[in-house]
Amino acid sequence: MAVIEARNLIKRFGHVVAVDDVTFSVEQGSVVGFLGPNGAGKTTTLRMLVGLVTPTEGRATINGRPYGQLPSPARVVGAVFESSSVHPGRSARNHLRVQAMATAAPVGRVDEVLDLVGLTGAAERRIGGFSLGMRQRLGLATALLCDPEILILDEPANGLDPEGVHWLRRFLRDLARDGRTVVVSSHLLSEVAQTADAVVIMDHGRLITHTTLAELTTKAGQTIRVRTPRPDQLARALAARGAGVQVVASDRLEITAATSEEVGTVAAEAQIPIFETTTETDDLEDVFLRLTAEATRLEVTR
Amino acid sequence: MTRSVRTELLKLRSTRLPFALAGLAAELTAIFSLLEGSRAGSSGTGVAPLSTAAGLSVVTTVTGFAMLVAAVAGVTIAAGEFRHQDATLTYLATPNRSRVLAAKALVAALLGALYGLLAGVVATTIGILLATSQGDHIALSAGTLAAHIGGATVGAALLGATGVGLGTLIRSQLAGVIAVFVWAAVIESVIGGLFTSIRPYLPYTAATTLAGAKLGNAAFGPAHGLTGAGPLPFVAATALLAVIAALLSALGARTTLKRDIA
Repeated sequence: MAVIEARNLIKRFGHVVAVDDVTFSVEQGSVVGFLGPNGAGKTTTLRMLVGLVTPTEGRATINGRPYGQLPSPARVVGAVFESSSVHPGRSARNHLRVQAMATAAPVGRVDEVLDLVGLTGAAERRIGGFSLGMRQRLGLATALLCDPEILILDEPANGLDPEGVHWLRRFLRDLARDGRTVVVSSHLLSEVAQTADAVVIMDHGRLITHTTLAELTTKAGQTIRVRTPRPDQLARALAARGAGVQVVASDRLEITAATSEEVGTVAAEAQIPIFETTTETDDLEDVFLRLTAEATRLEVTR
Repeated sequence: MTRSVRTELLKLRSTRLPFALAGLAAELTAIFSLLEGSRAGSSGTGVAPLSTAAGLSVVTTVTGFAMLVAAVAGVTIAAGEFRHQDATLTYLATPNRSRVLAAKALVAALLGALYGLLAGVVATTIGILLATSQGDHIALSAGTLAAHIGGATVGAALLGATGVGLGTLIRSQLAGVIAVFVWAAVIESVIGGLFTSIRPYLPYTAATTLAGAKLGNAAFGPAHGLTGAGPLPFVAATALLAVIAALLSALGARTTLKRDIA
């Protein structure tokens, strides 16, 4: 069952189209990586899901209703946007007390979530003195106050050090294990690849793909690098068989759309010696970058 | 609605600013009460001796600064969340933005009332102490003094709510605070100086007359000390300020409040 649905969302800021006809849905209990480079329209889309930004066209619903029409929205969705979007003069505990009051969360929950994100020791400190990592943790604590079934986390790893990123990955895995629906945005696939079931990739305001991580893996291609004394001759022979070939040095080729067996067979048939062959398979990050780069190329040629 | 009001109250209690502004309101009131007291009865100052009702009331009604502080507090309550970007959390918790605005206006009015009450008590205490220290009798009745304090409370409460409307409309805390002071010190002074007949209807002037200040006593610049048209009756001045606060809030609700929270 889809708990989040975005239908033909469009958002224009003046002449700028920040989000352009984006449609996707998120199934209950799934972890979705919301990916794209900076400025792709991820944050605007997520803000439209929770009513902070009004779509120019289209509709976004949570459990079938616009966020603002949910009876107790904070009990359904916990959202974290800007790590700095808290009053710097409040202590962490007071910040959470205010949010607990606003969302009708039990007061006892404040200490629970502080403990959950490892901020108990800093509960009385003013947020203005917090590091970025501590602010990110506080943001997650805020989102979890009402123990919501859905979490929307916008770039929670932004600015975190490697230890913080490691902590966040573990935290997301725990949330996923709890059976929560999690939408986590990032400009790096690696940040969500270990926990996400599916990915929504955006660029230039458009939806590039909405697919499972398994399907994305199948899009990973491979590049075969060959060292040969007759690269031009081998290139012609391989190209005649439909391979993508590029001569990158006087004795080297890079070949795509062919297997190493096919390259070896073609070389043998043409009696071209091969001194060295290496095969490199794209990782998911490469696939992600390739998809967004293709979108950029299309945008430029438009 | 109750939850929204309690949330806004908790927000106030959990930061230093409301307490700092209370201190500022009390200090400014004390300083200018003492200044007016020191001028009372001196030739050329235009301030009657403290032994007279007119002279004593000049000191006990110096509550205009607290009213400005109340307006600044209102602006901060509304626009401060955009400065610190915690408006996102506010509207995630309570998507009904009009409800949040109403709660903020109510809380700003409560806070303004406290500032007005504090300033009224400080000014009245200083007036009484100065008069008795000179061996003068207290020329104003207890009822009149209480009415001045009550008027300061009401005036500051309404300017606090007006500040929320202004802060909602402008969304910039700094611009809102500047607007409060420019309005009171420059615009009302110029308009009040040029068109004496409309002076009683100017919001800052109307608020100060609620507290018993004579028209022009709380004014800045060329309008200071100018008499002319009499002040509005208490109920009319209260209604005028309430309408201005409501209009600003309604305008904010129909325009800027609907904008995206980025």
